[in-house]
Parts: sequence; structure tokens; C-alpha cells
Amino acid sequence: MSWKRICSLGDLQQDGLRQFDVDGIPIVLARFDDEVRAIPPACPHMEEPLAQSGLCSGGMLTCTKHLWQWDLRTGEERGDAEKPLLMYDVKLEGDDVHVFVEHELEYEYEEEDDDDD
Amino acid sequence: MPTRNAQTWREPPKGLRQGEWIDSRIYSDSEIFEEELSKVWKKCWIAVCHESELPEPYDFRTMTIAREPVIVTRGPDKKVRAFLNVCPHRGNMIEMRPSGSFKEGTPSGNPKHMTCMFHAWQFDMKGNCAYISREKEGYQDRLSRKDVGLRKLKCEVYFGGFVWVCLDDEMDMSVAEWGGQAFDCLQKAVDEEPLEVFHYHKAIIPCNYKLWHDTNSEFYHDYLHYHNRITGFNDEYFARKNSSYDNGHVVVGSFKVRYDQYKGFDSRADVSFPHMEENAWYMIDMFPGINFNLRGSALRCDLMTPLGPNEVMIEFRGLGLKSDTPEQREARIEHHNSIWGPFGRNLHEDLIAVSGQGGAMHEMAEPRRILHGRHENHTIHDEVGMRHFYDTWGKMMNRLPSDPTKPYAPPPDDLELEEPVARTA
Repeated sequence: MSWKRICSLGDLQQDGLRQFDVDGIPIVLARFDDEVRAIPPACPHMEEPLAQSGLCSGGMLTCTKHLWQWDLRTGEERGDAEKPLLMYDVKLEGDDVHVFVEHELEYEYEEEDDDDD
Repeated sequence: MPTRNAQTWREPPKGLRQGEWIDSRIYSDSEIFEEELSKVWKKCWIAVCHESELPEPYDFRTMTIAREPVIVTRGPDKKVRAFLNVCPHRGNMIEMRPSGSFKEGTPSGNPKHMTCMFHAWQFDMKGNCAYISREKEGYQDRLSRKDVGLRKLKCEVYFGGFVWVCLDDEMDMSVAEWGGQAFDCLQKAVDEEPLEVFHYHKAIIPCNYKLWHDTNSEFYHDYLHYHNRITGFNDEYFARKNSSYDNGHVVVGSFKVRYDQYKGFDSRADVSFPHMEENAWYMIDMFPGINFNLRGSALRCDLMTPLGPNEVMIEFRGLGLKSDTPEQREARIEHHNSIWGPFGRNLHEDLIAVSGQGGAMHEMAEPRRILHGRHENHTIHDEVGMRHFYDTWGKMMNRLPSDPTKPYAPPPDDLELEEPVARTA
């Protein structure tokens, strides 16, 4: 895996989130102004699909389920969020959006055990 | 024969003894019905569905046992678990769909969780509380998620992949121990390879649940079924025996069904279940209302949900082998539906009969005697299966089936219940 061209900047709406399949790896692109970030599709909190429940505004991403928020510039947590975003590297070449995909980035979710199994 | 007046109509016929009739109030009295839910239905293992109905992780199925909402889920570890389908917060029913998957999220919940739509509390497939909305704001550090998990129920997948649930934590037997030898006659046939549900329909009938179970436990009523008389009613048919087992279960022995004697039907031998003789037939009646019936190529299972003294929901499933080719499956479905489908030769006839019983034994009907007194050396038209069921019922309810106002008492010693005993006229 390596740099992959995903789409044109014009394919992404301002403050939009859009999910792509990159050789079997699901990736969400978020656009603010003329910048693009590439993140895994699930919220790090409880696996909510961000392409549906996420809201982008002024470079802030909010998962509308439980209001976890992140600064898209850095991926750092804001508000109620307790985990940062994982991010793929992105570069713009002219109008083309390229993402560096080496392997799928995934969050670790807590899984509790049964008390008696 | 003379007719009877009001008084003699209420008396049991001369010559029959306690245990050979029951009082119709056990089919119609609302107080007895409520007592049955707590003393019988909440105490026994109840088959609720088949594991092939929730094949993938995060699949679920909902049902009720004795009016308690129950949810069965399959975890990411593939294990099937059962919980009360009740939110620990404000008591809402968590999942209202009959079946589906939690893999995708719901409007107020996340993927892979059961979510109560009311206040968005979420639970994982193991019943742990995984999320409380605005937890810290409302509960500060006073309430731990660990203390508000779901109510887990005893649950086993057993006997050809059926899912069994028991509401009573004190139940000290496994399903295998509770069913005991009643399972033996079909165990090899249903456990050789995975089964799959291919047919489902349900009937809500105005009759007491026990009337349906009775119908599955006596074959004297084959006079109702033209098909069964034409394909049965030979020496082998009349020779097969009813066997009684602990905990109220009854097994009806096998014989070879002559399908070729009924126009439009033919042998089921090509798609027999494993280890079954061709065109063989077996019936297992599990207390208090679960029935397995294998006709060579198709397994039928009746699961009952009592809804009231004079109302029962019966869910009918047809099962084949998961490994069936499309042609085998098609044959099985035809075999199943032609006899047990809603337009088959058998099921609706039984449903009409028990509806008639329900019409005459409704909640306001006057009490009368229902006769269970046929003795034919435990063979097919002997009513020992029902007598055995009601003896177990009487013990669990501590009521005498022949007079439910009195406490349970065993029937006369020489009234055969367990051991086959020849009875001379």
C-alpha cells in the first residue's frame, strides 16, 4: 500500500463527510475550507458510522450520537471526547486528493466479559 | 342410551376413576391460568426458537415466556444468550422487533449494541450496560454501569439447535437432564448435522394451551384426519406405544407411513433425516407445551405461548438439513407443507377441533368433565400420555386435575401412568 488517489477536491462538499472504499479499507474524508482529513469510518467512542452521524463545521467534527468532538486540524479531542481521532496522511496535488494507506487504522473498543461464562 | 340431566351431566361417568377425567376449569379458569404461568411456565425449560434464526453475530430474536419479554442474542463470540428484554432504567421493552440484527446502529443507538429507544441506554451482546447517556451529569459517581446490566436468563442450545430458556435461576437440571430419555428417539436424527428452519407460521387460537398439547399427545383423534387414516390405520399403526418420561414428557413410537396410499403423495425416503428408517414417524411431547414431530423428511416443531385461559399462540416451524441442496430442500418443503402447511392435510383440522373445544370451554363456561380414560395397553389410542401430563401438572400446581379446588393427590395405584400394564376388560 502507498499513496492512493481517492477523488478530486471538487467531489467533496464544504464541511462534508464522505466514505470511500480504498482497496477494501473503508476511509472517511472530511473537508473544511480547502483542507482534507482522512479518518477511519467509525467513531472511537462506540463505533458510530461518522459518515452518517458526523457533523463538520469550522474544522470541528462532532459525532451527533453522544457529542464527542475533535479538532479536524490535529485530530485532538474536544468537548466530551475521550479519545483522539486516528488519521491517515493526506496530500493534495492540484485538485487530486491522495491518502497514504499502509494498513487499516482501527480503534480498540472495550469488550466486557460475562460474569459466568 | 339415555341423555343426562343437569346433575348427572356434572357427575363423572360410572366406571371411570380419578385420573381418568379432568375438570374443564383447568382449561378456563383465569386464576388457575395465572398460577400456571408462575408455577409451570416460569419453572420449566421452554424452547423459544432455533439457532438458525439468528445465524450471524449480533442477530437477535424476541419472544415472551409467561408474559415476560425475552430477547435471545448471538454474541461476537457466536454464543447464544438470553436476557429479559427490559431496560433496567425505566422498565421499557428494549427491542420491539421480532427479529433482526444489532450489527448496524439504530436512531438512538450505536452499532453492535442493544439500545433502549427511550433514553438511549445501551447494552452489549453479553448483557453488560455499555452506555448511559449523560451518565456523569446525572449520576455523578453514585451509579456504576456494572450495577445496571441486563437480567441474564438460563439459556442452552440443545437438541438439533433449539434455543431453550428457563426463567428460574434455581432450575438445577440441564435441558438434557430435564428432557432425559424423551429426547433419545430423535437425538441422532437431529444432532448428526446442523438443521435449518425453512418454514414458519403461527396461529392464535381461542383455546387453552393444554388443549393443543393434548391433541399432540393422543392419536385417537386420527379419526379427524382422513389422510392419517388412509396412510396409517394398519397393524403397525395400532401397535405403536406411548412412553411416559420424568417431568411430564411423552414419546409416541414410530411406524411406517404408507404415503403412496394417498393420491398425490409419495415416499419420503429419498430425503430421510439421518439415522431414520424410511417414512418413519416420531413424536416427542415435552412438558408443558413443546412438540417435535419428525415425518421422515421434515421436522415440525410447535412452540406455544399461552396468552390467556382461552387463548394460545402456536408457532409452527419446519426444519430440514442445513446442507440440503436446492432440490432436497424443495422436496422437504413440499413434504412438510402438504401435510403441515396452512393448506396441508393435517394442521388446520387439528386447529378447528381445538377451537371447538375452546368455544365450549371458554372462561364463562360451566365446569364439566373431560374424559382421559382410554386404556389400550399404552398403544396409540390409549390416553396414557395425557394422564401422565396431568399427573405432572397436578404435582407442579398442587391441584387435583379432576377437581382443581382440591390439592394434588396421586391417582389410584393400579391406574397405569408409568409402566405399561395390560388391562383386562
